[in-house]
This record gives sequence, structure tokens and C-alpha cells, in this order.
Amino acid sequence: MKDRATDFPQVAARPYAWPFDGRFSPADTALIIIDMQIDFCGLDGWCAQCQGDPLPMAAVIEPTRRLLDSMRAAGFLVIHTREGHREDLSDLPENKRWRSARFNAEIGTTGPCGRMLTRGAPGWEIVPELTPLPGEPIVDKPGKGSFYATDLEHILRTRGIRNLVFTGVTTDCCVHTTMRDANDRGFECMLIEDCCAATLPHNHASIMAFTEMGHGIFGTVAHSKALIEAIS
Amino acid sequence: MTLHVPGLYPWPFDGDLRPENTALIVIDMQIDFCGEGGWVHSLGVEIANTRRAIGPIASLLETLRPLGYTIIHTREGHRPDLSDLPANKAWRSAQINGKGIGAKGPLGRFLVRGEPNWDIVPELAPAPGEIVIDKSGKGSFHGTDLEAIMRLGGIRNLIVTGVTTDCCVQSTLRDANDRGFECILLEDCCGAATADHHERQIDIFRIMDGLYGSIAHSRDLIGTLEAKV
Repeated sequence: MKDRATDFPQVAARPYAWPFDGRFSPADTALIIIDMQIDFCGLDGWCAQCQGDPLPMAAVIEPTRRLLDSMRAAGFLVIHTREGHREDLSDLPENKRWRSARFNAEIGTTGPCGRMLTRGAPGWEIVPELTPLPGEPIVDKPGKGSFYATDLEHILRTRGIRNLVFTGVTTDCCVHTTMRDANDRGFECMLIEDCCAATLPHNHASIMAFTEMGHGIFGTVAHSKALIEAIS
Repeated sequence: MTLHVPGLYPWPFDGDLRPENTALIVIDMQIDFCGEGGWVHSLGVEIANTRRAIGPIASLLETLRPLGYTIIHTREGHRPDLSDLPANKAWRSAQINGKGIGAKGPLGRFLVRGEPNWDIVPELAPAPGEIVIDKSGKGSFHGTDLEAIMRLGGIRNLIVTGVTTDCCVQSTLRDANDRGFECILLEDCCGAATADHHERQIDIFRIMDGLYGSIAHSRDLIGTLEAKV
């Protein structure tokens, strides 16, 4: 594995080939799959209860599964995140609860898939196509970002991870919050454009534009095909 | 008594708006982002797009200072030895014109603490006793004591202003929201390198009628506070 690492070519990405210094191997690179939960991707999940369109999110399950297969086969670390709150809601800020209640989709109350955005409820589970394998870290988080109030940074540092590949939902919310926070921490990030989605496609497009500005102020953007080619 | 600022939703959500629990944060209004000879100016960006926030923020400070609101300023910048500069940030910053973070500009080293260009623009200079947060990233929480200061000061509501809308302002507002702070973005008190990016960022903040907080114009806040007096 160590020797093979140096054989990976840089991934064709915008605005620069990733990673910036060409160092990229299963020993220092992880795939992070953000919040691919029924609450965000399912027709009866929390997002749909809030009148958001879950179809763009459901559409990225398949490309993400292909990328996941390929990265698992190559031995990369895979990390999954789930947004959700404790059953007693002791980690739910009052303003977050209040905002969700305006949509008749109050976090912690019961919807078609059980208690919405609540740990342990059926809607909070990751979609079956992307179920974590034993040994793949799962990070449970109460916010949009995956670093706040979690052990994600500790896990990444302990494993020696330096590069992060971003997929998941939603592009303009949890994915970009996490990518921004990772970038500030010095991680070299790449966003996979066909493996993330937002409820509104123009907001997805804006996030790609923000990521590419300033010669990649938060990292780079690539298509999953380019990454799969590079590691195959 | 409750008080609400009209906007995307009446803010704060519960009407608990007082000088004791509310702070104004003015993000990165530095010469490097808003002034001639600064880093952004050296990249050929039209600085009128970031300078647009100076006048409205100055008016806002005039209103909030005498009322006793907490005022927090942030500055993005690195230590002179660049020990806090990630290698990829250094590399990217040098790709556009070869003059990246730490390089000599017309006024001093770009985005380096202590340099004249790293200073806050004179119109918005912090008053004695106001909090100044130095940060190495886009977000204002990572690697800083901002959260500790806000918790110790009993701050729950955060009025967010500064530059740039799509970068440091957005990162800070998102991180504040995750921490449970009740945020409002004043859209005339921010700016991005392009007006288009500013508008698109505001659009993202509008999702779900305020997923990260409310949005208003500074006159809505000033009007609310003056009506109360």
C-alpha cells in the first residue's frame, strides 16, 4: 500500500489539480460522506416535511455509491456523518428548534419516519445503499459543521489524514460548513460535484463558484470520474 | 419586554434583545481586504465592493456604542514567522500573481500581523475596550478565544457584518449558528469581491426562511433600537 501511494496521479480538478502538492495515498486521505440520511434524502424524511425537495439528494446516492466502492477497494478511510440530536434534545439550541417548528417539522417531534432528526429514529439512519461498513468511523453531530462538538478532528489527526474528499448533502449547508472548517484546519479538500446536492440547484452552483474563487480558497472541485480514474 | 428587528424573520426569535446579551461582530474590515495597497486590491479586485460596508458599519457603531452593546472586531492574518499558515493556503495565495500571504506589498507584508495593511480601516478603528480577535482562518472560532469571550460575557445574539460575505462572514456565521448563537446578517454592512457573489451568498442564507439566522438592513436594526429609546 505504501509504495502504491506514490503512483496516484493528481486528480483533474478546478481550479487546480488536487492535491496541491501531489501527495495523496490511502494513508493520508479520507472520503467523508456527509448526512446521507433518510431525513435528508428520503421522500418522507425531515427535509421533505420542511417542504424541501429531496429528489436532488436522492439522485446523488448512486454516484456516491460508485465512488465509495472504488475508494473502499483502494483502501481509503471512509468517514460517515449524521446530523441528529440526543433523545432528550439536550443538545438542541432553542433557536434551531423554533425555526424547524415554523415548518410544522419541529426537530424531535414524530413524522412519517419517526422522531425527526433524532438519534435512533428510522429517519435519522443513513440510506441503505451507503450503509457504513464495520470499522468505518461514524460521526454524530448536532450542527451543520462536522467539527463542532465532535471527535472528527481527533480521528483525522490520529489516523494521519491530510487530504479530504467531500461528498454528501446538502452542498450549501452541512457539506460546505464542514469543508470550510476543514480548510481552516489546514486539510487539503476536494468537493465532488456530482456526489453532493442542495434542495435548490442554483445554490449548489453558487457553492461551486465560491469554492473555485481565489485560486481555490477552500480547495478544489472535481467530478467523481476524475477521482476514480486517478485511483484505479 | 420583547423587541424584534424586522427582516427575514423577526429577530431575535424570542424577542430577547438587550445590550447585555447581544454583540456586534465586525469581520475583517482590514486594509488588506478593503483598502488601496492591500492584498485584495493587489489581486485586481474592485475594492468598492468591499468598501461599500464601511459607511453603514460606521453608522451602526455610532448607534450601538452609546447603548452599551458589546463590539467585537476580527482580523485575518498570520504570525510573522508564518508558523500558523497551512501549506496549501500559502500555495494557493501565491498562484494568482506570485504575491501570496507573507509577500511584500506596497504597504507591507500581505496578511501578516503587525503590518500597516493588516490594520482595520481607520473609519472603523476599534475603540478602547472593544474586543479584537486575531484569526488565521476564515472562521472566527477556530484557533481563537471568541467563543470563550462570548460565553463569559453572556452573549447570546450576534449581529454579523464585515467582509467578505461569501468567505469569512459566511464561515463565522455558520460556526456561530452551530454553537446556538442567534445571528442576524446585515446585508448592507457586508460585501464580497464581486456583487454577484454577495447576492448569491445572501440567497443561500435565505433558505428555509433563515436556517442560519435572520437577514435585515442596518436601518431595520437602528430603527428598532431608536424606537425603543
